[in-house]
Amino acid sequence: MTLGFLAPAALALAALAAGPVLAHLARRHPQRVEPYGAMLLLRRMLLRRRHRRRLRDRLLLLLRVLAVLAAVLAVGRPEVRWPGVDTSQTPGAVVILIDNSLSMDLRVDGGVGGADGPTLLALARESAQRFVRGLPEGTRMGVITAGGQARRGTGRLTTDRSEVLSLIKGVRQTQGGTDLSGALGEARRLLDGGGLIAAFIDEAGPSAVEGARSELALLGEQRVTLQPHAVRAERVANVAVTSAKYGDGLEGGTVRVKLASFGGPEREVPVVVELPDGTAINTFVTVAGDEEAEAFVTVPRVTAGGVGTVRITDPALTADNTMPFHLPRVGASKVLVVDGDPGPTPVASEVYFLERALAPWGARATGQGGVLPVVTSSSGVGELDPDIHRVVFLANVADPAPLAAPLVDFVRRGGGLVVSLGDNVTPERYNSALAQLLPAALRKARALVARGEDGRATALPDLSLSFFQPFRRGGRASFGDIRWGRLFTLEPYEDGPQVRTLMHLDGGLPLLIERDVGRGRVLLLTSTLDIDWGNFPLQACFMPWVQRTVGYLGAEVGGGEQRLTLRTWEAARIQLPDATPEVTVTGPDGAVPAFVRSGLLTIQPERAGEYRVETPGAPPLARVAVTTDPAESDVRPGPSLLGVAAEIDPARFTRRLTLAPWALLAALLAALAQALLATVLARRDELAEQLPAEVILET
Amino acid sequence: MQAPPPVQPPWDPQTLAAIDHLRLVAREAVAGFLLGGHRSVMVASGVEFSDTKPYTPGDSLRHLDWRVLARSEQLVVRRHRAEQELSTVVLLDASADMGTGAAGGVAGIDGGPASKWAYAVGITATLIHWLVHRREPVGLGIIAGREVPTRWAPPRLGGVHAARLYGTLVQTRPAGRAHLFSALADFEERIPRRAMVVVVSDLMEEPAEWAPALSALVSRRGDLRVLHLHDPAEWRLEYDDALRLRSPEIGRPVAIDPLDAREAFEEVVRDYLVEVREALGAWRGRHVLTPTDRPMAATLAELLRGM
Repeated sequence: MTLGFLAPAALALAALAAGPVLAHLARRHPQRVEPYGAMLLLRRMLLRRRHRRRLRDRLLLLLRVLAVLAAVLAVGRPEVRWPGVDTSQTPGAVVILIDNSLSMDLRVDGGVGGADGPTLLALARESAQRFVRGLPEGTRMGVITAGGQARRGTGRLTTDRSEVLSLIKGVRQTQGGTDLSGALGEARRLLDGGGLIAAFIDEAGPSAVEGARSELALLGEQRVTLQPHAVRAERVANVAVTSAKYGDGLEGGTVRVKLASFGGPEREVPVVVELPDGTAINTFVTVAGDEEAEAFVTVPRVTAGGVGTVRITDPALTADNTMPFHLPRVGASKVLVVDGDPGPTPVASEVYFLERALAPWGARATGQGGVLPVVTSSSGVGELDPDIHRVVFLANVADPAPLAAPLVDFVRRGGGLVVSLGDNVTPERYNSALAQLLPAALRKARALVARGEDGRATALPDLSLSFFQPFRRGGRASFGDIRWGRLFTLEPYEDGPQVRTLMHLDGGLPLLIERDVGRGRVLLLTSTLDIDWGNFPLQACFMPWVQRTVGYLGAEVGGGEQRLTLRTWEAARIQLPDATPEVTVTGPDGAVPAFVRSGLLTIQPERAGEYRVETPGAPPLARVAVTTDPAESDVRPGPSLLGVAAEIDPARFTRRLTLAPWALLAALLAALAQALLATVLARRDELAEQLPAEVILET
Repeated sequence: MQAPPPVQPPWDPQTLAAIDHLRLVAREAVAGFLLGGHRSVMVASGVEFSDTKPYTPGDSLRHLDWRVLARSEQLVVRRHRAEQELSTVVLLDASADMGTGAAGGVAGIDGGPASKWAYAVGITATLIHWLVHRREPVGLGIIAGREVPTRWAPPRLGGVHAARLYGTLVQTRPAGRAHLFSALADFEERIPRRAMVVVVSDLMEEPAEWAPALSALVSRRGDLRVLHLHDPAEWRLEYDDALRLRSPEIGRPVAIDPLDAREAFEEVVRDYLVEVREALGAWRGRHVLTPTDRPMAATLAELLRGM
């Protein structure tokens, strides 16, 4: 509600209010002075009368100033404006818009203390039915729901009141967000001309109404009136799981859980993390009112992959108390080294240096945090298991062609690939087989220095690159000690969003180049990972560089099946392998309808939980973790629908009340009151003057 | 041998004339007043029988009424009224506030209307004259004031003494603050025992401040009378328009609208008089409230009632 003035310049007359104040002050200083011998009594009286007199004088002054100000206010022609619509005329067509999104599942009493009051949706249905019964006979009506995705209850407007009441009664609770924009659009199209949209919504959260601005703007053009009927809970307090994610790094081992409180005081919330194998890990998280909190739950060293669930106990909005999350198989080796050059001695092999860099304490100590790589020959790519391996080292492999297809698939789904070169590498073969993966095409190997001389130095890396983030604390200078005697040159390329040069030699020759491919990344080292062409493995920075490479590339969750995380009512499109037999999709409530066209499977899950895409007798093709919309968990009051509409179209959605007559009346009343008060006081003074002299003496 | 120079009287002719006039005023006021002996309030041995009372341990056996004992076997003590000379001391307040009132000047001397000070001087002179006429000793103490020839004159007899007191009254001018508590305490040590003390003042100080000084004054003497003077115009706030009133003792003027303040002022006066009477009543002092337009004979009659 706002206050405005049609003649604001008139407010300058408010300076007239100083008149009574000046007059009040001026009358307080008489000039005549007389000697007086009973000052003791006079001071007593002044002390006693000070309070009463002050009140009396100030009341008179207040009334006079009030009279002047009210008169000035009346001249300024004030008016109060507030969002609203004129409901005096009943339209011929009405659309009942009911919000059945997740937040409408909140109980009126907040569900606190086990109370079992009606939900906001029940209230909305009841209110809508009452509204429909109040409409005149012959009104054309329609029903639209806004939960998840806007839906029409009727194909067109109907005058059958019982049908509309039945439709309203049949509106069911969803776990979707508020599609207010879609619902308004549907309502506008259903009305197909002027009419009224009676919206029964909770106006909760900051985004539910804001997202409908564009549709609200179109209402005016179609002469459609909006009449919101807000339904609100008496107590608003909800705690929800807003995020659950398995650790970012290769050595993650933890599930990061985020909780958020929407209204209500600080609470300690019991949290249960259920792993795919049924293991339950319990903890407690304290969430302050209107704040977020997070907890890290460590998973066992060996855990099966799949979809886990974080579950909390909170009486309000039970649907947002659970959050599914993907968990890869934990505890298996995650690095595969394809050794193309085993070498005559251990120190002449890349594997030797990689094993010591990744598992410094040896194979038996891998449980202490090291990663023991699985080593295979160039023909053993069959060992590549996307559910186990996160990073593949392709070390000096002579013919990468047989590996190309599985490597491309592996990287696109989030795997990491490191390609290191050497004497076995033929640029033509690499360029043709790994064209989809290499950051740049190889040219030829080039000797940088004469035999017996020191190699070419490596430029110090740029620490602003995220790859070198761990080296910000130290170790950067060690890169300057790396010397290279030979490396492969590259065809010209340009750094861009997909390709980045991470390291180069003094003089600019590229040494380490990165390329994004699908969800994964490829690193190309233009030299060897042993000591044939350089002294890199002998430098102090080698071990942290290798470990950082594995952590950097293995960050994305990979797996044998496709893993998707969606929100309710969000469409999931899954590419099926060729010649996939019959596909079934199973959700938390059983089989879910799915549509397959051109090998693309589409589902639109309405409930939160785990969905599995399977073919008979085979592991799941895909796992889909469906979560509720965190915006729906925010049950605190948001912007009002009418307020936003009034901002967009003030003329149509603003009501006005002119205050000038009231201000004038107030001015008259104040003037009259001060006149009456002044008269009464003067009369009392006159009576006091007429008292006989003996009154005092006789006391 | 050269004769010693004649003793110069301490007063100039005008003062002497004023004294004569004052004496005339006093005589005129006393003329209408009933003359007669007064009795001491003290009960003691003497010739004139007063009353009897039941014997209580500690009473002298000499005063037992043996006849009553013989006839009724009851122990009764006879009491007699003492006959002795009674001194009177007048303590006159000459503070600055006493100088305010109708128009100043001494009533009956310059013919003008009486101010509080004029009335106080007049009534004091009248009292002195009456006591001297009755051959009773009379003393005078002046509280505050300026140009005071004698601040304290102990009770004595005779016309010369009375003339000196008249001179003191005529020459003293009201000034300063009374500080009644310390003033009464000062005079308390000088006033002889069993004297009647008459305080002439406007009592324009908080009763709670000066009342404690009455205890010592009364305990040794037993007869305290306070002539409480006030100007009726001041107490009725008889002013036409808003003005500022300034006390000679305090100085800082106070703005007031008399029409507006009159009603509340009456309440204050009523409460103040109650306080004064309670303060005096606690020490058996007699309160004689006297407006300056009251005839002095009537005031004197009320003041001396019971003497």
